[in-house]
Amino acid sequence: MRSIRFAAATAAAIATALTLAACGGASSSSNTDPGDVEGEIEPREISWLLSRPADGAVIATVEQIAADYAEQHPGFSLNLVTTPDRPSYLQKLETLAAARELPELFDSDATPFAAKLRDQDLMVDVEALLEELDLRDDYRPLALDYQRFDDGGLYLLPFEFEIEVFWYNRALFEQAGVEVPATLDDMVGLCGPLRDAGVVPIAVDGQDQWPLERYLAYYPFRLAGPDYVTELKRGEAALSDPPGRAAAEWIEALGAAGCFPDGFSSQGYTDARDLFTTGRAAVYNMGTWELSALTSPDLPADVRDNIGYFTLPTADGAVTEDNEYVVVSGIGMAINAQTFDPLVKDFVTYLLQEYPARYAATGRFSPTIGQETPVPEGASPLFTEVAAEIENLGDRVAMPWDTQLDPTSNTRLQQELTLLAQGDITADQFIETVDATIADNAPRYFGD
Amino acid sequence: MLPSRSRTSVLVFLLPPLLLYLVAVVAPVGQSLFLSFFRWDGITDMQFVGLDNYTRMLTGDDVFWRAFGNALGYLAISLFFQLGVALLLANLLTYVRRGKEVVKTLYLLPAIVSTVAIGFLFQRVYSFEPTGFVNQVLQAVGLDGLARPWLSDVNTVLAAVSVPEGWRFTGLYMLILYAAILAVPAELEEAAKLDGASAWKVFRHVRFPYIRPVWITTTIMAATYSLRGFDIPYLLTNGGPGQASELLTTYMYKTAFTSTDFGYASTISVFIVVECVAAVALIVGLLRRRGGVLL
Repeated sequence: MRSIRFAAATAAAIATALTLAACGGASSSSNTDPGDVEGEIEPREISWLLSRPADGAVIATVEQIAADYAEQHPGFSLNLVTTPDRPSYLQKLETLAAARELPELFDSDATPFAAKLRDQDLMVDVEALLEELDLRDDYRPLALDYQRFDDGGLYLLPFEFEIEVFWYNRALFEQAGVEVPATLDDMVGLCGPLRDAGVVPIAVDGQDQWPLERYLAYYPFRLAGPDYVTELKRGEAALSDPPGRAAAEWIEALGAAGCFPDGFSSQGYTDARDLFTTGRAAVYNMGTWELSALTSPDLPADVRDNIGYFTLPTADGAVTEDNEYVVVSGIGMAINAQTFDPLVKDFVTYLLQEYPARYAATGRFSPTIGQETPVPEGASPLFTEVAAEIENLGDRVAMPWDTQLDPTSNTRLQQELTLLAQGDITADQFIETVDATIADNAPRYFGD
Repeated sequence: MLPSRSRTSVLVFLLPPLLLYLVAVVAPVGQSLFLSFFRWDGITDMQFVGLDNYTRMLTGDDVFWRAFGNALGYLAISLFFQLGVALLLANLLTYVRRGKEVVKTLYLLPAIVSTVAIGFLFQRVYSFEPTGFVNQVLQAVGLDGLARPWLSDVNTVLAAVSVPEGWRFTGLYMLILYAAILAVPAELEEAAKLDGASAWKVFRHVRFPYIRPVWITTTIMAATYSLRGFDIPYLLTNGGPGQASELLTTYMYKTAFTSTDFGYASTISVFIVVECVAAVALIVGLLRRRGGVLL
């Protein structure tokens, strides 16, 4: 009796193993090369799994274009499924990827996870597609570079173009008697006088963790350029090296100087923005996707008319230029190679041709060259100033670390970073823990 | 021995729920156990790693042990509310003469409010900048020194995320215990009172022994629910700051869906199952020794 039970259990385990192993195998019917896809277009419903704001400009523009395409191709429809909350989105994406049920189009950053999808032939080579459509040179090189994997492969299409700057409140700076900082170290010096004036120096969304992680990337980018993080994530450089140490000590100093609001770790995105837009915080580090909100006539005039910006301050011994800092082209769109057929190709082609002009018309910056963005009605002069900044960028960009590091190391780094900024641990402890975590995890993701 | 017709009808009635239980509970647990011997990211081929995941969890993962300690703290605070406070309230309720229904409804209300709403509510309750309810009360009574960002302070955050979990189900367990107390024969209590027993003695020697089976059921329910607690800490702090409010469940979730390490996440989930079974065994074991009545 016992042996029968054991045999049955073993059989069940083997059956499960086979099923799961079958799920894990690569598909044989992938079209990663767009040149191979030709033929008759058969309209049907296709889906795009997104992680973008439901009421944002990208979705609004895409909806318009899809509606026009559907008019020309009866039977076509585009089902946009958005999950703006990134962790929830990634959970969906990973589950669908594991089940080999990814939709025709899906959003992703050029993360180590996306690299695995690419290696499994699940993503279409969009560089080849752009070349075939003769569109590649229309794109800003920085917009495409942001979407590239480490080996230069381009499998994600950009739909935005944003720079990240420090927005500041001129009136509050004046009240505290401080100037725009020239160096990163000067930023620490701002905080004491601003605190004395009863102002929160820097509003930061601690709950989502990536905004604080940006701060960690700044010193290394200035001292060692963009290559430092690509070496760090592979364990070829360490946080204990001078650029990393400078970063950790800078965060520790910002925390000790009271730069961040008390309890920032449980403040969300809108909490941080509200602190700044209600005139209670003096500095807010965020991308130009907030430009419309910050220059909008709906904002109280005493705040709106006092908002200025400065770009990433430099540092002693900087190797990157003042006009080089964080430039992003948003989460990218991947094309599922398993479902890539003449219809998907034709729709994506139409989308790419129509998108830049219609998107710019909404007051946002297109990832393509030469597409002018009209100034929204009633916007403050700040809009034009920042728009000019976008046309004056250098060649190198500071990549957000959260898309670079392996996810396990990144999670631990973010957790420890909050403790560092709160003064719960020292820079040395931070460096030791993060270096050990990366040494432990990097080989599994980048050990090829 | 049942006649064969009854046996068939028993089988007919029991089989569907048994099948449902096997498919919905036993199979996923079995699959987790299976996956825990592999390394798998969901995309590439699975790699058999034997007991590596278990060795890593038990000997090489400081976050795991931190999360385990936090889970026990979370359990203790939740049980304080869901058993201690609920029992006290259920007893007090028997002395209330008017407005009993209103009191019951008010206490039960949090159990039917969605978790996300509770998350938002407590985010505001604990807020420091702008000043939330807790800090306002502290300031009003002159305890300004105690005001703090409760969800950002590593020393207070675990208690701060445990309290909403305890609070939300206090009313539910109060109601279950109150129903049990109502079933205690009034003549027994009256006899004890006539013999000069105090209210405490009536409770200790008449009421509590009578409701012990229900008490054990509520203890098992509350303990296993709390050990599986996930949503409130995840929504309020996502386990932070650092790992100060990381529970085994939130850690498992991150391991699965942030690190895409499904094998290791399954190992943690197996540990959670074992932990829940051990908790139930401990509770039942304690009952056997004390009362001799089982459920």
